[in-house]
Amino acid sequence: MSAYLDIVDVVKSYGAARPAVDGVSLAIGKGEFVTFLGPSGSGKTTTLMMIAGFEAPTSGDIRLDGRSLVSIEPHRRNVGMVFQNYALFPHMTAAQNVAFPLRMRGVQRAEQQRRVAEALASVDLQALAHRHPREMSGGQQQRVALARALVFAPDVLLLDEPLGALDKNLREQMQVEIKRLHRRLGITTIFVTHDQSEAMTMSDRVAVFNQGRIEQFAAPLEVYRRPATPFVGAFVGDSNFFDVVLSDPVQGLASSDVLGDIVVPRSERPPGSRVRLMIRPEAFGLAGDGVHNGCAAVVEGTVNYGDSVLVLTRVAGKEVRMRLSLRDAAAVVEGDRLNAAWRPEDGCLMD
Amino acid sequence: MTRFSDWFAWLVLLFLAAPLAIVVPMSFSNAPSFQFPPPAWGVQYYRAFFADPRWLQPTVNSFIIGAATAVVTMALGIPAAFAIVRHRFAGRGWVNLLLLLPLTAPHIVLALGYYTYFGRLRLTQTYLGVVLAHTCLCVPIVYLTLSAALKGFDRNVERAAMNLGANPWRVFRHVTFPMLRPAFLVAALFAFIQSFDETVVALFISGRDASTLPRKIFDSLRTQADPVVAVVSTLLLGIVLAGTIASRLAARRRRVETPA
Amino acid sequence: MIAHAAKAHRERPWLLLLPVVAFLGVFFLVPLGQVVASSVTEPELTLAHYREFFSDGFYLLVLGRTFATALLVTLACLVLGYPLAYAAVRREGTIALVMLTLITLSLWTNFLVRTYAWMVILGNRGPVSAAFRALGVVPPPEILFTRVASTLGMVHILLPFMVMALYAVMRRIDPAYLRAAQGLGAPPRAAFRHVFLPLSAPGIVNGCTIVFILCLGFYVTPVLLGSPREQMLAGLIGRQIEELLDFGQASAMAVVLLAATLGLFWIYNRFVGIDKLWG
Repeated sequence: MSAYLDIVDVVKSYGAARPAVDGVSLAIGKGEFVTFLGPSGSGKTTTLMMIAGFEAPTSGDIRLDGRSLVSIEPHRRNVGMVFQNYALFPHMTAAQNVAFPLRMRGVQRAEQQRRVAEALASVDLQALAHRHPREMSGGQQQRVALARALVFAPDVLLLDEPLGALDKNLREQMQVEIKRLHRRLGITTIFVTHDQSEAMTMSDRVAVFNQGRIEQFAAPLEVYRRPATPFVGAFVGDSNFFDVVLSDPVQGLASSDVLGDIVVPRSERPPGSRVRLMIRPEAFGLAGDGVHNGCAAVVEGTVNYGDSVLVLTRVAGKEVRMRLSLRDAAAVVEGDRLNAAWRPEDGCLMD
Repeated sequence: MTRFSDWFAWLVLLFLAAPLAIVVPMSFSNAPSFQFPPPAWGVQYYRAFFADPRWLQPTVNSFIIGAATAVVTMALGIPAAFAIVRHRFAGRGWVNLLLLLPLTAPHIVLALGYYTYFGRLRLTQTYLGVVLAHTCLCVPIVYLTLSAALKGFDRNVERAAMNLGANPWRVFRHVTFPMLRPAFLVAALFAFIQSFDETVVALFISGRDASTLPRKIFDSLRTQADPVVAVVSTLLLGIVLAGTIASRLAARRRRVETPA
Repeated sequence: MIAHAAKAHRERPWLLLLPVVAFLGVFFLVPLGQVVASSVTEPELTLAHYREFFSDGFYLLVLGRTFATALLVTLACLVLGYPLAYAAVRREGTIALVMLTLITLSLWTNFLVRTYAWMVILGNRGPVSAAFRALGVVPPPEILFTRVASTLGMVHILLPFMVMALYAVMRRIDPAYLRAAQGLGAPPRAAFRHVFLPLSAPGIVNGCTIVFILCLGFYVTPVLLGSPREQMLAGLIGRQIEELLDFGQASAMAVVLLAATLGLFWIYNRFVGIDKLWG
C-alpha cells in the first residue's frame, strides 16, 4: 500500500546549528487523521510548513498521491491550512473569507454563494456570514477558518495548533467538531499540537517529534502502552522509570535495585542486558491475589483528582508515583506503608 | 505637590493655546496693521484674500506641489519600505540610514545646496524643482509610517491567502493592499502636509513663479505690510483644528468598534 | 530549484530600493555634497572660510549665541513641558482629551502661523505693550525684534515636541510601579522622585535631543522675531545667500551647522539608538 501523503527523509537546516527537521519520514494513508505531537522546537510545525509550501526542504521529498510537491508553489498545492491565529482577512466578512479560495479558482458567483453557505452551515455559522472577524469571538473565528480551509475540497487539511487560544470547554467542543468533519469528509488531516491528551483523543495515528526527529509513529494506544523511547514514555502521560537487569529475558525475569526480583514482559534481548522499565502510575494497585510484582512503598503525600488519587511514594529510596482508585486510596495517609503491586504486562521495556 | 503641578500644567497649556486664539480675531480686523485688539471689525481681509491672485496663486501652487510630492514620495517609499522590512540583505542598515538622513539635515543647509545645485540645473523657480526637493524631505516620514505599518502586519494572513490559491500579485491586490490602505493614506497625507508647510527650502528655490503659500506668508510677515496674513493663518488653523478633531473622533470610534 | 527560489528572493530587494536610493543620491546627497565641496573650493581651493569662521569674533559669537539659545530653549521647554505631559498622562477622559487635542493642535499648526501670533502679541500695538502702558511704563519696552522675542517664540513652537516626546514615554510607565512604591511605604513625592522620574528619563532625553537639534537649525522664527543684529547661525547663513552672495562662506557655516547636528544625532544613536527617537 503506497502512502497518500509521503514524507521522505526530509531535512530542514538553517545553518550551523542542529537541523530543525532531521530526517523525517512518514507514510500517511488517505483519509487518515494524523497528529504531530511534540514540545516546541521539535520540528513539528516546520514539517507542516514544508507540506504547505511555506518552507522548502533542504533535502528529501514530499509526495502527494505519487507526485512530488516540493517544486510546486504554495498557492498551487491545493492543501487547506488553518493557522494558529486563524489568519482571517480582517477587511472581509466571514462569507467573503470563505469565498476567497473559490474566487481564486474562478468559480462562478452563484456557485460560490452556494458552496459558501454550505461550508458555513457545516460549522454552524450561517448567522454570522456578514460579520467581520473583529466582531466574532475566538471560537467563531476558528470555525470560519475551518470552513475557509475546507470549502474548496483540498486534498489534505493542515491544522497548526488551532485550539491553543481557546478555553477548555470550547477546546473540547472544537475537538469533537473537527473529528466530526473529518469523519464526514474523509479528508486526510494533519493536526499539530503539543497537548498530548488532544493527540490521544483525536488521532488515528500519532507522530511524536523530538529535536527534529520522529521517535514513534503509531496509534495512540500503542504510543501510550508501548512507548518506543523514554522520551515518548515521559512526554505522553505520566510515568515511572526504573533501571533493570534482564536475568532471563525469554522468561521475562529481571531484577532491579528498587523493585527487587520482578517479572517483566518477555523479550529477545541477550541475558544480562541493562534496560529501562517504564510503569505508568495507574498500573499500580494494592497487593491482592495473583499479582506477581509486589513492592513496599512508603506514602509521602496524596493528590486527590476527584476520579482517582495520585499517591506519591518512596520505594527503596526512589520516588514512585502511583494512581489508585478512590476506594483503594480511601484510608491512605502520609506515612503509611503500602503493599503495592503491578502486572508484568503493564511494564514496558526500553533500551 | 501634584495640585501645584496641575495648575502649572494648565498655565502652560494656556501659554500654548492663547497665541493661537489671537490669530482668529485678528483676521476679522478692519485695520491695516498688527494691532490687537483690533480697532475695527469686518471681513474686509477675507474678501481681500479670496480676490487677490498674489495670495491665491501661491495657495494653489502649494496644493499642486503638495499633491505631486505626495505621489512621488509614495511611489519611491512603498517599494523601499517593503524591501527593508521584509528582506535581510547586506547594507540594510545603511539604506535605512539613507532614508532617514533628510530628517537630520537642517533645512537651511539643504536650501543652500538646492539654491546652487538647482540653480545650475535651471530648476529653481519651477514646480519640478520644488517637488524634487520636497520629495527628498518627505521620504523619511513616509518611510517611517509605512515601515511601522508593515512591521505590525501579520504575515500569516498573506500565507493564508497563498494557501487558498492566490499568487503573489493577487495576495498583494486582495489582501495586503486593502489591509494597508489606511497606513498608505496616512503616509500620503503626512507627505502632503509636510510639503504644504515647508518654508525654508521653498523660500530659496521657489521663486515667484512657483511661489508657495509659506513663502508668501513669510515675505508678508517680513515686511509686516499685509494683514491678510491673519486670514490665511486662521484658515490654516481651522483646517488643522478640523483635522485634529476628526482624527480624535476616528480614534475613539475605532476603540469602540473592537470588542475586548 | 530551491536554491533558485532563495536567490531570487535575495536579489529582488535591490530592484525595489533602486528608485529611492537613486533619487536620494541625485537630489539629496549631491546638493549636500556640493555644499561641503564649495566650503573649500569657493572661490578656489581654500580653507580660508573655516579659518575665518573659527577665528573671527563675530562668527564665534554667533555660534556661541546659537548654542546658548538652544540650551536655554531646551531647558525652558523641559521645565514647562514636563508638568504638562505629567498632567496629561494622569488625567483621564474628557480633560485628557482636551489637553491632548490642544497639544496636538499646537504641534500641527504651521510655524509661521504661530510666529505671526507672537508678532502680534509682542508688537508695539499688541496686548503686551498695552499692558505696560496700563502699568504706567511709557514708552513700553520694545520686545519684538529682540532676542527675547525670538527665544520666546522658539519655546512656544518647540514646546509641543517636548511634551509629545515626554508623553509617549510617560504613557507606558505602568501605574503598578507607583502603587508598589507607595505600598512599600514611600510618600507620593518620594514615589515620584525615586520611581516615576527615573522611568521618564528616556522621554526627557528624547525631548531634549529633538528640541535642541531643531533649535540649532531654526531659521524662520529667529529671523522674523529676532534682532537682525543678533542673529543665530541659520539666519546668518540665509543672509549670506540672499544678500552677500558669499557661497563659500555660507557653505562653510552650513557645514559647521550640519556637522554639529549630525554629531548630536550620532551621540544620541551611540547611547540610545536612533529608532527610539521616533517611538
